[in-house]
Amino acid sequence: MTSVSKPNQALANELTMGRRAWLAAVAGTLIFMKNSVIAQSHHASAAIKKVVPFDKSTWPRLLRDGPRPAAYVFTTTYCSTCPEAFEALNDAVVAAHKKVELAAVVMDVTGARALAHAHHYAGATRIYAFDGFEPEIRQTVDPKWRNVTPYIVLIDRQGAVQRSIGPPSAAQLKAWLA
Amino acid sequence: MNANLSFWRVSLAMLAALLLSGNAAWAQKAPMQTMAHKERAQLATGAAFSPDGRLWVTGLNANNQLFVQSSPSAAGVKPQWTAPQLISTGDDALSADGENWPKLAFGPKGWVVISYTQPLAKPYTGMIRMLRSTDGGQTFSAPFTVHADRQEITHRFESIAFDAQGVLHTLWVDKRDMLLAPKVGKKTSYVGAAIYRNESRDGGATFGPDLKLTDHSCECCRIALAPGPDGVLRAMWRHVFGANARDHGFATLNTADAAPVVRASFDDWHIDACPHHGPGLALAADGGFHAVWFGQRKVGSEDIAAVRYARLKPDGSPLPETVRALPDELAEHADVKAWGTRVAIVWRSVSGATSTLKAWLSEDSGQSFRLVVLGQVTGDNDHPRLVQQGARMAVVWRNVKEVQVHDIRF
Repeated sequence: MTSVSKPNQALANELTMGRRAWLAAVAGTLIFMKNSVIAQSHHASAAIKKVVPFDKSTWPRLLRDGPRPAAYVFTTTYCSTCPEAFEALNDAVVAAHKKVELAAVVMDVTGARALAHAHHYAGATRIYAFDGFEPEIRQTVDPKWRNVTPYIVLIDRQGAVQRSIGPPSAAQLKAWLA
Repeated sequence: MNANLSFWRVSLAMLAALLLSGNAAWAQKAPMQTMAHKERAQLATGAAFSPDGRLWVTGLNANNQLFVQSSPSAAGVKPQWTAPQLISTGDDALSADGENWPKLAFGPKGWVVISYTQPLAKPYTGMIRMLRSTDGGQTFSAPFTVHADRQEITHRFESIAFDAQGVLHTLWVDKRDMLLAPKVGKKTSYVGAAIYRNESRDGGATFGPDLKLTDHSCECCRIALAPGPDGVLRAMWRHVFGANARDHGFATLNTADAAPVVRASFDDWHIDACPHHGPGLALAADGGFHAVWFGQRKVGSEDIAAVRYARLKPDGSPLPETVRALPDELAEHADVKAWGTRVAIVWRSVSGATSTLKAWLSEDSGQSFRLVVLGQVTGDNDHPRLVQQGARMAVVWRNVKEVQVHDIRF
């Protein structure tokens, strides 16, 4: 029996060792994966990874039910004056220690092509992209606006709306963040 | 053994689940992780008459492939388009939206060129690319870069034209000088961009050096070209005067040095922004020019944005008494052509989903105009492109379904 049992015991010992090693490997993988996911989700909180469609029904809905205070920077992928205007706006928000919706609205491309410009909009809480006929959507925002960008709309806590072509003035920012 | 088998089965299942969840996490890192969306159609289309009177168009198809097609062209006759001929552009991406569209130009000796801006991976950068034909557009070369400067910077919004001597001129918006300018804090001290150009005397086979036309152009508006009475090309572009007055400059393309810039509009529109709305230019019967542009100017205490028309003197300076707004508050992206005393201005007027193609026609060199509605479409469409061959003028207007051609009838 003993002679029979020895190999079995050895096998059992090997199996036990194998299980330990396996469990250790699984646990290690689990810890690595968990940390990886945690790291990824942490990264996701800092970088916007999706673009929200902005169609002709979006603006009336944002005006009615959207977050406040909020700033919407309408931009295009060819607008080289836009990132600077966005940065100035973000600086004002950071300096005022206010939590606001700060959205970039890309008008000329959708999806991944819009997201490729996300790094120009550090501090953005959301990135929208026009989804439909650009002038039609633009006219829902302002019928007289002729796609000059950056076109910026500031909505304060009470819902009062201010607009500017190019960076907003100091007075506009002060009123918006009051 | 059963217990062992169960252990391994459970373990393998756990590992598989972990790996799958890991894949999901990795997938989230991928830059293409966006909401599923159809890309917007790139409808911006170039058009030109060939020397034999056919009308040619070039643009991108639904698969973003460059194509050309042509039709016999006679006033009042519906176009009979050839099947689209796909033109290989290698791995190039192409801009074909709004003010940045593929263009087509016919020269002497069967020369035909197609140009486009190739946007690069780094935002706001691009190369001006060209394909050439020596057999009247039957076949085209592989694409090549037009400018000598190969930095990964802005070379965009090109315009092309052959002059009366058969010299091919290419102009583009270029930011090489901005990169060299000192910075003030994080901001460059250079205002706007520059316009560079070059010339080819062999239909695009070779090019002369990059020549700076001007500093301080606006960054994202098309450049208008028109021949003067001497056959030498004139250019008109949105220019930044002073710190940020975005009016228009005018220059003659006859010197290798930076050309003297003549101010062609005085809206005095001070903005630190991108209008994306370039001018139009055409030779007038008296040797001056007809010009159209978009801008905002103070009228009394009000800022009035409008597309405006004016006559320019031969040197490009405006005749103030001729400045007038087009009769349409919604006018955008107007173009102008002229022949003798006849002047045609066309534009798109958008209200909601409906776009109307309108024309303002004059038979007295722009002293008086009559308004004509040429067409209307629903949904996405391109800016109207005026084409001309002698007295013959037509508007090419592409929408998601078709390329429309509207004859200009005075």
